[in-house]
Amino acid sequence: MTDRNDSDLRDRFRALRREDAAAAPPFDATLAAARARRVAPPRRPRGWLAAAAVAVAAVAVALLLTRPDRHGRTIDLATVRWEGPTDFLLVLPGDELLRSIPRFGRMNLSSLSDRRTP
Amino acid sequence: MSPETLELELACLHAAAFGWAIACCAGDRAAAEDALQASYLKILDGRARFDGRASFRTWLFAVVRNTAAELRRRSALRRLRPLAVLDDTSDERPDAATVLARADASRRLLAALATLPRRQREVLHLVFYQDLTISEAAAVAGVSLGTARTHYERGKAALKKLLKEEPE
Repeated sequence: MTDRNDSDLRDRFRALRREDAAAAPPFDATLAAARARRVAPPRRPRGWLAAAAVAVAAVAVALLLTRPDRHGRTIDLATVRWEGPTDFLLVLPGDELLRSIPRFGRMNLSSLSDRRTP
Repeated sequence: MSPETLELELACLHAAAFGWAIACCAGDRAAAEDALQASYLKILDGRARFDGRASFRTWLFAVVRNTAAELRRRSALRRLRPLAVLDDTSDERPDAATVLARADASRRLLAALATLPRRQREVLHLVFYQDLTISEAAAVAGVSLGTARTHYERGKAALKKLLKEEPE
């Protein structure tokens, strides 16, 4: 990987390595220090979590119990009339004539004037 | 790997790992010891597991590198906290004792290395100091072989130039 011109560089790094090796802390001491760092895991704030969960549940229950119309509002379907936006398409011009009995000599002008074309 | 074998392997590579930790901590000896201890702890606790995909040395160096980076990030976050500047004087430069203990040639080499980008510094250290191949250095640094080769070539050229320019 390296050519002959790199030998100077390599020598410099080797010298550095020798210095570092001489100054390196003993392995046993490093290992002992590492083991000493092994502390008990920090206590999880479980108490706070439980208290928060209980508080949230209590608020939810209170909201449910105090909500007005909690049994649901009854709707009288007979009074409800829904009109679709395209209902006018079903209205035929002169359909009033179809719902009344025609009589000779009389004409219902009001029904004729109410003719709508879609 | 049994804990005994693991400890034996770590003991064999301890000096090299310390040198690598110093390189990962920009020459800060105290930070390097800290990173090495944290790395050993990770390994002994099983938070870092050797899966045999790379050599043990390559894997250990990757663990040390990642741990040093974690500690560096944590330290940077601590410095962001108000008043943290009062209790943290680390600025990523080698401490005075380390600098004084160095020989002149090494000091010049470290000063030149410090001017290089981190990746180049890492690859050069792994190849020249640790005698790894560029491929192994790429595995440790977590980059592709091509990228590592580029860092190696550029870093080497820059380092040679810097050392040549400097008065002996």
